[in-house]
Amino acid sequence: MLQLCPHICDPAMSSTSQKHKEFVAEPMGEKPVNALAGIGEVLGKKLEEKGFDKAYVVLGQFLVLKKDEELFKDWLKDTCGANAKQQRDCYGCLKEWCDAFL
Amino acid sequence: GRPWSNPEAQEDPAHLSKSRLRSDLVSHNVELPPAGSKKEVYLKLHLEHVDQGNAAGFSSDEDDQVLYAPGGDRVDTKIPDPTALSDKDLKDLLLKYGVKAGPIVASTRAVYEKKLRKLLQSDGNEGLNEAETAVLYSDSDEEGEENGDLEDEKESEEEKERINEALELNQKQCNEHLQEPVKNILKDLIPEAKTTPTGIYVTPRRPIKGAAQRPILYGYPDTPVSPTTLERRDVERRLVPIYVQILVFFIVLYILYFISINV
Repeated sequence: MLQLCPHICDPAMSSTSQKHKEFVAEPMGEKPVNALAGIGEVLGKKLEEKGFDKAYVVLGQFLVLKKDEELFKDWLKDTCGANAKQQRDCYGCLKEWCDAFL
Repeated sequence: GRPWSNPEAQEDPAHLSKSRLRSDLVSHNVELPPAGSKKEVYLKLHLEHVDQGNAAGFSSDEDDQVLYAPGGDRVDTKIPDPTALSDKDLKDLLLKYGVKAGPIVASTRAVYEKKLRKLLQSDGNEGLNEAETAVLYSDSDEEGEENGDLEDEKESEEEKERINEALELNQKQCNEHLQEPVKNILKDLIPEAKTTPTGIYVTPRRPIKGAAQRPILYGYPDTPVSPTTLERRDVERRLVPIYVQILVFFIVLYILYFISINV
């Protein structure tokens, strides 16, 4: 097989998940809350029970906390019991979305 | 008037709600009974620990300006219960600690109360009065003039404490993060550094490429190569396709020659 293309995939790019990339690629519209990176089925359900049934509602909370990382992560932990990685993923996802679209 | 001077002294603890008792206990650094305990348990603990402080002949209203209680007991009775604060007071008190809070609405209230509690607890030992009485006085205009000087003194002490606190926090966080792999240190330290109130920030030294078994994290630019090496690489890249091209050329030549012969 002739290796004509020397281009190799940059391993650093895989630090954000596919979910994150998909979310950040377009306006969130009516996407459900488990479209957020870090929020799976279990956490999604807990958030829905508290009334955060769409991603934009969580976005609302993120914005009202003035996009503060610590406060948002605390809120997420208190509301649905997210662990540190999930908090980090969700925060990063929302932050990047805001940087792109807000 | 002062919104929350000595709430415990004025109210009978038995009339307080269970969550109020709980937060009082928390602010007095009393160990909470297991979750789901009855109100009597909280009440008992409250009477034991909190009201003891009150009964120790502590302040009448005039003594509000005393920063440290005589007799070694902590000045906990002055700590306002975050749950009892109004939205505005909560926001102001947070501001005294250097926290620029956003709107205090239903969904954010709990988070900010929790944050304030954390700040209060870490500050409890150092005598909270400065921050609190400053808020008290700033709320009421009548007392403003008199206490102007006091406020300034208290504020500069406050600032020093805040700086120390922030430094400690920074230190602690740095130490914690050392446990994580190198990648996270950089990610965590750099964003953190931007928000430190002291203005101290760190710029990590780039590790020597490959030294001391450190994984290479940065994409260093290519090491300088001699022109011959570059040429060789270039040629190598084209070697294979060129062979194909030459081969095809000769095949076509042969075909043409073959055709011209047979014509």
